[in-house]
Amino acid sequence: MLIDLVPDFSKNFAKGSHSELRIHTNKTRKASLLNGNLIGNSRSESSGVSARVYKNGFYGFSSSAEYSPATCLSVLNAATSNAEYYASRLTSGKPALPDLPTGSIKIKEDFSDPDQKFYIDVIREIDEHIKNTYPDLDSRGVTAYADSMEKLLYVSNGYESHSIMPRSYIYVTLTGANSSGEPIEVFRAFGGFGPLDTNFRDPSELYEDIETIYKQLCDKKTAVFADAGFKTCILGPRMTGMLAHEAVGHTVEADLVLGGSVAGPNLGKTVASDKISLVDFAHTAFGAPTPLPVYVDDEGTKAEDALIIDKGKLVGYMNSRETAEFFNMKPTGNARAYAFSDEPLIRMRNTAVLPGTDKLEDMIASVEDGYYLIDSNNGQADTTGEFMFGVTIGYEIKNGKLGKAIKDTTISGVAFDMLKTVDMVSDEMEWVSSGFCGKKQWMPVGMGGPSIKCRVNIGGR
Amino acid sequence: MSYSVITIDKIKDDADISTIKLLRSVAEKCKSKLTEGGATRFVCTVSRSTNNEFNVDGGVFSLFRTVFADGLSITCYIGDKKGSASLNSSLTDDANITAAVETALDGAKAAEPDPDWEVAPNEGSKIFLKGNLDFDRDGLFDRLAEAMDTIKAKYPLVLVEQAITNHARSISLFFTSSGTEFITISGSYGVEFMYSAHDGDNASSFFGSGFTLEQIDKPFVETGSFAESLENIQKQVYTKPFKGKKTGRLITTPELSSELIFSAINNFAGEYNILNGTAVWLDKIGKKVADERLTVTCATNDPRFVGGQTYTGEGYLTKDYSIIDNGVLTSFDISAYTANKKGLKMAPNAGYNPIINAGTKSIKDIIAETEFGIYVARFSGGEPAINGDFSGVAKNSFLIENGKITSALSETMISGNLEAILNNIVDISSEQELDGTSVLPYICFDGVTISGE
Repeated sequence: MLIDLVPDFSKNFAKGSHSELRIHTNKTRKASLLNGNLIGNSRSESSGVSARVYKNGFYGFSSSAEYSPATCLSVLNAATSNAEYYASRLTSGKPALPDLPTGSIKIKEDFSDPDQKFYIDVIREIDEHIKNTYPDLDSRGVTAYADSMEKLLYVSNGYESHSIMPRSYIYVTLTGANSSGEPIEVFRAFGGFGPLDTNFRDPSELYEDIETIYKQLCDKKTAVFADAGFKTCILGPRMTGMLAHEAVGHTVEADLVLGGSVAGPNLGKTVASDKISLVDFAHTAFGAPTPLPVYVDDEGTKAEDALIIDKGKLVGYMNSRETAEFFNMKPTGNARAYAFSDEPLIRMRNTAVLPGTDKLEDMIASVEDGYYLIDSNNGQADTTGEFMFGVTIGYEIKNGKLGKAIKDTTISGVAFDMLKTVDMVSDEMEWVSSGFCGKKQWMPVGMGGPSIKCRVNIGGR
Repeated sequence: MSYSVITIDKIKDDADISTIKLLRSVAEKCKSKLTEGGATRFVCTVSRSTNNEFNVDGGVFSLFRTVFADGLSITCYIGDKKGSASLNSSLTDDANITAAVETALDGAKAAEPDPDWEVAPNEGSKIFLKGNLDFDRDGLFDRLAEAMDTIKAKYPLVLVEQAITNHARSISLFFTSSGTEFITISGSYGVEFMYSAHDGDNASSFFGSGFTLEQIDKPFVETGSFAESLENIQKQVYTKPFKGKKTGRLITTPELSSELIFSAINNFAGEYNILNGTAVWLDKIGKKVADERLTVTCATNDPRFVGGQTYTGEGYLTKDYSIIDNGVLTSFDISAYTANKKGLKMAPNAGYNPIINAGTKSIKDIIAETEFGIYVARFSGGEPAINGDFSGVAKNSFLIENGKITSALSETMISGNLEAILNNIVDISSEQELDGTSVLPYICFDGVTISGE
């Protein structure tokens, strides 16, 4: 746990400019088995201090890998000097940042950090189970991965904080061959908030889920190409979460709105069916902690939920302090930095479509000719809202019943058009938090939702 | 020039000399702690770097960032048991170095032995000097401001969503238990622009242009294909969705040509799928895997490139090689570990720096000879399946009908199979684009499914 070497640092912040000092550590641990061979076995740690100063309408930033009271002062001075350099070459015209509520939220307890042997033992046990239970596999991969971010934040105005966000996962990949001898693959991540020895005390708890993905692999042996074109599809919760993050979430990040995203001209307008509401949750959702809770962001804003779409209407953006002032909105704590050497950017936290009232079985029964799309390996979206998601697990729906599995494919659409076609939303809710969002810096994010029925463009033959 | 090999007396900057002394002292501490801890082999890198970066967001200058970083990465072996640790924390704190060494040793102790891990034999001691070490703060600022002014004046529909220009400078010391010692002193400028075009509420998709430079003696907008991309994006504000489904030709810009071909190489001849035995080209060494006009060279030592890889992770000095030579697969893109594990030959370098040989026809003529097809600058698609099936959205694309570009497209998907399209190349352009890290042509493939509403 970080030791606070600069408890009175705030006295060094100059009046008339907004300043931040962040002491920040990232840890990652990883062990990977491929067909029983330990191909990955590594741990990494990154730590240091950074300062950001907003002066005369410009930000200056500096960081150092050394954490000492003297270095804290030197990065603060360097950040100030960088902001002053811009001001010496340009005129900003931007106002000073408005004041924020002040306070302090500091954690008191650390989380466990199991040794590397624990990681190897867990994946070895799971790998042995897979090898013995499914001898017909062509290949199997099991990875244990954990990371954590710990931050100690001082600000000239706002909330000071000390936070730790640990998460850990087991990734399982199973590979076989289809009837033509071509390789096929399924992949699933298990886990969430917390260290590995908390989330995976008993690896056998995963075996039921591994059985599910093995069955999906068997289904893919006789998979057919999807029929390319616009189709009625049911997106499962993990696909809906991807939609919430990639196709909507990015377009409503206020820095991308300033960059010309489709959300700019659509604020206050209907962008989805009235069955759709979307929220970027801070730390608590549906009465429980979110997968990756944020209590104070890296600008010192106390984190609150950001309501983005309310019953089909676009009502807000995710903001930094600077963009909130520009758009006359309240900042809700979305400015986050990944590493000590990174400046805070507007990032999502736990972005989800809210569940509805429909039953999944009724939704499937209502589709005459379409697809049920369960899992994705990646997704991308444009500032226009045009998105694409890879589909790795999906099934045909014929006359209201699930049919054959489909080969890996891609779906695409334009978010604010596609969301208007949603006519059923299931009453379930699932979170995913194993991935990283890439936007200049990496960032762990949570995403989730129910199943939704909609019209999208599907790739295939 | 990619790099030069110098002697220590050529380093004149006192700060560089003292940094090298620090790195050497860290290396000596690591060596003795690793040996004391029972390591029988090791490969380590210790580095110190500075990055200065100008940021533009939403069309305006926003942030000036300066980062000072220290790095230490250790891979060690106790017998055949491997452990790794990396650190980005202060090198002047001995506790950090001790912790990194102990973490790597603990990892090795916990691992099972695997005789296929490899450390290269002694490759000697060398000092590599790469790129431009001097950060010209005012010069970089002026070039960025000039580019913003030029875009505003000449491409009035374009909004720069984000621009990042930087100068990165680092000194690293790579050392192994075999006695290899490589010092690398490097510096280069990076330029990245992400932009879209707008007319009222109508907008194009975003597009990115980027390059790596040794010198900033030329306006950014005149570098590589930046001007052409700015022209094209202004034509993509008003698009038409493709209707129906049809098989046709796919013409890829130089960047996308490389992306598709290396997606195929990674899938069919890359580390993971070779290791797990599912790579489609596993038995194709020496055999035809693509059209005979396709030659793809991984040229990390090419003098046109800034800062290419000079040694592999195991400590071998790199050599340039053609992974596909006139359509024939000559090598897998694999490390020494995978090569040992599978009884194959390792790749002579692990960096891409691709050169794809030019064809004989101009891109203008290739378009003119296309009866039906699609010109695509960016592909937004899922990871291709192991067998090479791919599908995704054709971004920043134009429809080609009867030899002419007829409209910009949106909501249009392309799908096909990577192995099939490599054998279905219609033409490779005579023009090649150099962006500081690659030399690439346009490529026209046939047999791609184009679909929309």
